Amino acid sequence: MTIIANNLIKEFGKPATRVIHGVNLEIHDSEFVAISGRSGSGKSTLLYLLSTLDEASDGEILIDGKNPKMMSVEEIHRFRNQNLGFVFQFHHLLPELTSIENVLLPARRNNHHKEKSAYALELLNHFGIANKKDKLPSQMSGGEQQRVAIARALIMQPRYLFADEPTGSLDSKNGRMVMDILMRANQEWQTTVVLVTHEPDYAAMAQREIYLVDGRISTRQDDLAASN
Amino acid sequence: MLFLALRHLLSRKRQTILIFFGISLGTLIFTVISGMQLGMREFITSRLLSNTSHIKISARDRLIDKVEITKRFYGDDAHVHWVIPPYGKREEAHIIYPQGWFDRLRDDPEVLGYSPSLTMNCIITRGASRYPATLSGIIPSLHERVMNLNRYITAGKLSDLSDGGNKVIVGTGVLSKVGAQLGDTLLVSSGLGEQRPLKIVGTLELGVKQVDETLMIGALRDVQQMNKTPGHLTEIAVALVDMDRAQAIADTWQLTSRDNVESWNQANAQFLQIFSIQDITRNVITFAILIVAGFGIYNVLSIMVSQKRREIAILRSIGYTPRQIVELFLIQGIILGVTGAVIGLVIGHLINRYLETITLGISMGLGNHLIISYAPSIYITGFLLAFISAVLASILPARAAGKLTPLEIIRSDT
Repeated sequence: MTIIANNLIKEFGKPATRVIHGVNLEIHDSEFVAISGRSGSGKSTLLYLLSTLDEASDGEILIDGKNPKMMSVEEIHRFRNQNLGFVFQFHHLLPELTSIENVLLPARRNNHHKEKSAYALELLNHFGIANKKDKLPSQMSGGEQQRVAIARALIMQPRYLFADEPTGSLDSKNGRMVMDILMRANQEWQTTVVLVTHEPDYAAMAQREIYLVDGRISTRQDDLAASN
Repeated sequence: MLFLALRHLLSRKRQTILIFFGISLGTLIFTVISGMQLGMREFITSRLLSNTSHIKISARDRLIDKVEITKRFYGDDAHVHWVIPPYGKREEAHIIYPQGWFDRLRDDPEVLGYSPSLTMNCIITRGASRYPATLSGIIPSLHERVMNLNRYITAGKLSDLSDGGNKVIVGTGVLSKVGAQLGDTLLVSSGLGEQRPLKIVGTLELGVKQVDETLMIGALRDVQQMNKTPGHLTEIAVALVDMDRAQAIADTWQLTSRDNVESWNQANAQFLQIFSIQDITRNVITFAILIVAGFGIYNVLSIMVSQKRREIAILRSIGYTPRQIVELFLIQGIILGVTGAVIGLVIGHLINRYLETITLGISMGLGNHLIISYAPSIYITGFLLAFISAVLASILPARAAGKLTPLEIIRSDT
């Protein structure tokens, strides 16, 4: 089970500005991959293409051998619900729901929230916020909110977890805690993690780093050499 | 999606209550105005229909025609200049060929019953005073099949007139005007001969002053004798199986008759016009209120959609389809519409119950209270109006929410 990108191209606007230039890559099952690069290098765009949230201008993506472009609206949303988890820079919790209700939101889509409630508690417990289960997001700190968002991303036990700068709005202590959780998800549950980060330390924690320069795959060393 | 929709609404209590109030007010006003207007309408209609049959066949006045007289007396080619042209009525108006009508009505499957009558003007003499009245002669057994007069008889019964014998049922207003009471005998004259004593065997009160102060009802044969017109009728009242067919049937009968044939809606056209104007007024007021409430829903949901963009993005990214997002906002509109309408209807109903108990300074039929209608159609229409306006107002914001893609929201945030 892998994610394969073949000659991926993404353009925006008119006249078209190319952001991703013919990227080819393969992400293997249970791998922890960091996509890094400078600001504007196209790392978030590449993540959204790989995670089905965006469509490529050209080229193709295969997840588990399936091309998202060929899926119907219902199919792709069910696929996301059952196989993909997302963590964003901003937690995007629903403010009117408690943390446990937020965690169970993906399960509620198919009325599986009752069966999943024990697992939701287990996740909150795992992330050290079980005592916050009935709190609203406004009653929690930024780090706690982000941990709830990660629990929400993991509630359906997805095979892929896509995280877009999940530590970007956190202090270093909370950022470290979030990284530990992602690593644990990868090691304990064999979840394939694709992490976008511009922090070299966090990128170094991944098994493999995909470094982007102007929408092309490169290496950190080449980028440094070019800028010197 | 119901769970999320309810949470959304409850998280914005003030806005929700405001819209709720708008919708409830709209349906409440509709219920109260409709209850009063339709109550009054039912009252007027019941009075009209108790005095008016579905179809009325009445005698046509036959006037003297100058041309016809000229031809009859001087031949077709004569040219006559009249100094004073002949004018006036040929005779008392009466139905030309009653038996023909009876045969026709008896055999018609659409006719439920018919009642022949003769109505004449008369004078009641009571001591030194005289009082003008109207005397209607009917056949009680036939009349009961056409009009429900027994409802308005306050003493005696219509069948007391069955065997004739110079008996009358008299309007309560007539009794008080001439100072008589049940069991008394009135001296009544048709103006064509001697006075005839008529015994009061019953009283009648329709609740319409003009009728109660002039009407007397007797047996048809007695009235024909008094009027010296045996066998004559001035009217045949007809009851139909389906009163809504009255106009069409009356039009057909009129084609082959020299008598006047008039349906109940033609006879009461002025009232029906007032009813239509009432309907228009009521609907305009209600629509105005519901449009305002509808715009309220539209505004609040539109604001909610733009405030909830992040949440919509996350819902889409965790697998909620655009259709489910549309449902989320549509359900909120429906909840507001349904609950607002139900509360409005209940409060409107309670207000109507209260209005009904207020004592008025004027007489309304047999009482002095407002007559309120509780017809199910009022509540069904009120509910549907609120529900449809709520759904229509929710569709645009809901569709706008469904069209948002997760990425454009996430990108605009970062």
